[in-house]
Amino acid sequence: MKKTLYKFFLIFLVLFQFETIAEEKNYYKELITDWSRIFPDQNRNAAGPKFFKYIIDKEITYEDFVEFNKLYCAVSGSLIDPNSEPDFLFANESNTNKKICGDYYKCCIPCSCDIMKYSEVEKMKYKFIDGLQEFYVFTIKNPCNKKDFPNRVNKNYFCEGAKINNNQVYSLNGRIVIGLLHNGRSCRKDDIDFVKTHQVTGRFCELRNNTPLENLEGGMGDIFIKLAK
Amino acid sequence: MKSRLSNFLKKIIISLILIIPNIVNADFFEDITDKIVDNPKRLSYGISVTDMDKDGRYEFIVTGFGYSNLALSYRDGNLINIADQDVFLDEFRKSIGVAACDVDKDGYEEIYFLNTDTYSGTKKYSDRLIDLEGNKFLDMFEIDTNKEDLNLTAGRSVACVDRKGNGEYGLYVSNYGGPTRFYEIEDKIIKDKSANLNLDNITGGRAVVSGHILSDRSDIFAANERGANFLLKNNDGVFEDVAFDYRVDDVIQNGRGTALADIMYRGRLDIISGNWQGYHRAYVLENDQFKDIGSSKFDKPSRIRTIISADFDNDGYDEVFMNNIAEPNKLFKIRENGTFEEIKLEIALEPDGYGTGAAVADIDNDGILELLVSRGESKEQPLTLYKAKVNKQSKYLRIKPINKYGAPARGATVTLLTNQRKHSKTIDAGSGYLCQMEPVAHYGIRKNEKNFKVEVKWTNGTKDLIKITKLDQTVTVKQK
Repeated sequence: MKKTLYKFFLIFLVLFQFETIAEEKNYYKELITDWSRIFPDQNRNAAGPKFFKYIIDKEITYEDFVEFNKLYCAVSGSLIDPNSEPDFLFANESNTNKKICGDYYKCCIPCSCDIMKYSEVEKMKYKFIDGLQEFYVFTIKNPCNKKDFPNRVNKNYFCEGAKINNNQVYSLNGRIVIGLLHNGRSCRKDDIDFVKTHQVTGRFCELRNNTPLENLEGGMGDIFIKLAK
Repeated sequence: MKSRLSNFLKKIIISLILIIPNIVNADFFEDITDKIVDNPKRLSYGISVTDMDKDGRYEFIVTGFGYSNLALSYRDGNLINIADQDVFLDEFRKSIGVAACDVDKDGYEEIYFLNTDTYSGTKKYSDRLIDLEGNKFLDMFEIDTNKEDLNLTAGRSVACVDRKGNGEYGLYVSNYGGPTRFYEIEDKIIKDKSANLNLDNITGGRAVVSGHILSDRSDIFAANERGANFLLKNNDGVFEDVAFDYRVDDVIQNGRGTALADIMYRGRLDIISGNWQGYHRAYVLENDQFKDIGSSKFDKPSRIRTIISADFDNDGYDEVFMNNIAEPNKLFKIRENGTFEEIKLEIALEPDGYGTGAAVADIDNDGILELLVSRGESKEQPLTLYKAKVNKQSKYLRIKPINKYGAPARGATVTLLTNQRKHSKTIDAGSGYLCQMEPVAHYGIRKNEKNFKVEVKWTNGTKDLIKITKLDQTVTVKQK
């Protein structure tokens, strides 16, 4: 009995040692370190797509991909503090117009409203180093032909003439991928009720989404909206 | 039954001691603050180490922010302030950065006090460059011919740079919210040459180090806030910023304490750079890019100020002291292959200390470094002084390179070559945060280490090799 106890004790200590010695991957630090590579001109306005492209171009596992995608705001291009809580929301799926629900990591609450109103979601398949995965991504339509392309956004990040610049951003079915919808799935009725009655995705977003563009404050202001609408 | 139980408990205790070594750590430092005579609460910032009174011994020069600057000299077993002339004490200007070097090639290190009476942008009072003539201190910036290029921008750190490698030191002044300054004496006049040397960038300047980082001349690494760091490669005396290419720009973090250290014990200087509430970096050069090898314990964000790399306990491995403000200090030992091992502090932890700067010197000449910590900023606090508890059998070797003008060869690199390591140290030109260490390469000696040689790489890139036949001494190496 004592021998068994002692064995357990030793195993516990060894595991404890490994736990303290093991270096966890620091996704946030990696984004901070490479920030000037992602944004060479230091303009990250509405540049969530740049983050997405940078992340998906890495040779990583699906888990790494998911973790990296929790750390930037698809709407604003801001970094998000690790361990931030997402908003549960929905967006319309391209083609089907079905509502797809999931978690969105945002830098501030207006971004949740903007992504619900001005983006769509699409199912995407991608082969990571640990295998093929299917997930939902937020997309916006090709903005490159816009006459009122927002001047505070670096157009070269997104466009090569009238085409999407696939060296800089990731495109799917002719639309720009701006970020990942975490844990995406078809919405149930109670999901939709939850989103619509939530104090942010419901009440606050209703107010924001009915505010004229020129009066918008907070979040990216009207920059992302001008890019995405 | 009792004896079986006691055997079982014994086994558990022995296992604990073997498997969790940290629980039996003894204090690393000894608190010797009581050696500082007259140590009132005050606002202190940067510290430099230089021979201020030409007596052949170093003093700790401590800046005062609305308090007197101090020159702490080791006399009769105590540290005592020997500064008494108004231009040096200068209690009405707010001094934070300090560095000393021989700018006029007379062998004496002039002392640059960087004053800053505002956080950013234009300031009211300029800096001072203190020289000693006879027994009298004078501010070289008060000479009429030197008044044209006064620094009237808020700043933080200052470092000495022998950019031409000929012993004519210039001063890199890391300004905040205005252009960087680079002072040199030309035709007996102090001139700001920053524009001609590609150095007059506007940033939130914080820390600066200079030494053999990339080239065979004095390069510069400047850690900045609200903007990219600079890595200024010396191309025949003119500088090129290569921070982006070498991946040390760290653009969205806010630089603070910085030091040059041979992190891998491979005979070259790499960069340790602390970021204010950001990830602290241990940059090691690999294939023309710096790679950050700091572990999660080392890089953990803190309210960092000064960073010092030195062998405090004379065991032949450098420690990294992280001085935090209003947060406990930290200490790491750098083991082989750049492994950072945390040493739990009790003495020198200073959890309530408002650390603003720190410097090391073997001020009492016993072969063990003293660590002086200055404190202040938002709370007046006295200085603190520490010394590592050193194994009595330990040995040391100290190398003091002197340039052709008889001045400390700041920016030169000393490399200790033995059967166990190739270990480079810089002769400190300015480092930490706002500070500058003694101009001596201090080595503790490892167990079973032999075949000692020392290579001195001067600021012009030439090298001298010296065979060491005796330990426990300071070897002065003079440039030919």
